Amino acid sequence: MIRRPIASTTRIILGLLSVALMLAGYSWLSYRQHQKNPKDTTIPNWSQLSEGVQRSIQWNERLEDRWLTDDARATLTRLFAGLGLAVVGSCVLGIAMGCSQSVEAFLAPPLSFLAKVPATAVIAVFMALVGLGMKMYFTMIVFGILPSMAITVYQSVKAFPDELQYKAYTLGASHMEVVCNVIFPYVLPKLLEATRLMIGPAMVYLIAAEMLFGDVGFGYRIRIQSKLLNMGVVYPYLALLAGFGFLMDSLLNALQKKIAPWFDAQH
Amino acid sequence: MPNTDAPMTTVASQPHIALECRSLSHWFGSKRVLHDIHLTIQRGQFVSLVGPSGCGKSTLLRAIVGTHLPNEGVVQVHAKEASIPPSPVQGPGRDRGIVYQHYSLFPFLTALENVAIGLKLDQTTLADRLFRWGHWKRSRKGHLEEAAAMLERVKLKDAMHLYPHEMSGGMRQRVAIAQALVMKPEIILLDEPFGALDEATREELQKALLELYEENQQAKAAGQLPDYTLIIVTHELNEAIYVGDRLIGLSQYWDWKAEGHSAHPGASIVYDQPTPIFEPHSVRDFEIFEHQRAAVRQEVFHPNHLQPRIAPDSNTHPEA
Repeated sequence: MIRRPIASTTRIILGLLSVALMLAGYSWLSYRQHQKNPKDTTIPNWSQLSEGVQRSIQWNERLEDRWLTDDARATLTRLFAGLGLAVVGSCVLGIAMGCSQSVEAFLAPPLSFLAKVPATAVIAVFMALVGLGMKMYFTMIVFGILPSMAITVYQSVKAFPDELQYKAYTLGASHMEVVCNVIFPYVLPKLLEATRLMIGPAMVYLIAAEMLFGDVGFGYRIRIQSKLLNMGVVYPYLALLAGFGFLMDSLLNALQKKIAPWFDAQH
Repeated sequence: MPNTDAPMTTVASQPHIALECRSLSHWFGSKRVLHDIHLTIQRGQFVSLVGPSGCGKSTLLRAIVGTHLPNEGVVQVHAKEASIPPSPVQGPGRDRGIVYQHYSLFPFLTALENVAIGLKLDQTTLADRLFRWGHWKRSRKGHLEEAAAMLERVKLKDAMHLYPHEMSGGMRQRVAIAQALVMKPEIILLDEPFGALDEATREELQKALLELYEENQQAKAAGQLPDYTLIIVTHELNEAIYVGDRLIGLSQYWDWKAEGHSAHPGASIVYDQPTPIFEPHSVRDFEIFEHQRAAVRQEVFHPNHLQPRIAPDSNTHPEA
């Protein structure tokens, strides 16, 4: 029989084992590399990694910067500004499309088209149109994720049962109340889910843009440091990005469970 | 000679209309569904609507709810106060409650919130809730208390904070009934409300409706207008006879040729009779209406039994 259940201790042991194997494998690769070339930085050993971390969190007197905080501030500001606008915008557009056939007819074709254009391929256009700086990152993220999020919200509104809409009217709701008190709470968990799934793509677009045009930020730092073969800095940065993704994922999951405990049972 | 011994009638003993359908017809393209429906429902009546599948029961109910207006004819809702003129139905409104078979509750609200949302939507506006926060807080408290009392009436005191997905089908329909009742509409429409329930639960809910009917009777005895008027659409003949006090048969099988139509004009009302009244706690004995059941099967459901439809003016059914 497949999918035979296992004990939870077995599950934990297997999980720890895979991490341990990965770390051991890495140490071994690094050791082998350093046998050949003691100065190697492409597969840094643990002390080189710790130097990389030191370098990232240290205050640099001469340049007056601290990589990690400067990069984190830049990247997170860009990310959350873009995400925020995309979430609010897609919610408004998606609900408007789901509730009004005129808006649907007007917006559905361009949004479906835009949702298919890979945002990374349009970076050059953005640069030409809005120039460098905050505006470009912002546009990049919004362009990359708003259309498909709006379509998700729109489809969720379309799936809203007519009976519940009729019922709301028999309970004395106005059109605006149907939208705000019935449709909105119905699509809210779907919107949170879409946001959770879109943080990954948003990061891809942002890091790509930072790699190409940034002067600060995670993408910029990774590009510069990997050109210099300072993998001792690059790898901790990557680990940090993964940790951030993981954190956002669980936060949004928890938020969704908190405000819409009914949602999981529906699907 | 003028009538000197002025009738000592109270309001309740006079017929008091709750809802009227006049010359209601509906079709989809060339498919005729409803033909010239005339239906007058008295306040306090529990009307069961039955008919063969495809006869247009749902179309008629939708016309009354107002979600799909008929091509011809008008539905009018009468207010309790005689001074308010009857208003023609132009869309769904708070004077007609509805209980559907599926999607009967808002999934994102608990039982209590589901019952309270009607009071909230009806009695306050978005602007109130946003800009008169203190006022809204106070009304909300009142709404929740009223909703809780209503849930207690339908015996769901302990399930108040459950979400619909945590409730059984029977509990959900109870909440849906409470949700409609709390609005005190002129009429409550039930569209196959117990169709998805098992027999025991269905019986419990039928008894819950009979309890409302009993309250109606008590109100009438006290000289007041009855509070509850229902139309229940059902495919279950026993349920129709047991819950209702009046049975309406809508059918496409009637003698339309005799009225001079060259093509089938659509379903019409072919049966309209009072049904025996049951008390909620008496024995639920279906044997005693076997005779009526057989008659309905013959007159409403039998494709080859074509009789004239009920004449438009004869169905202002007096109190049974």
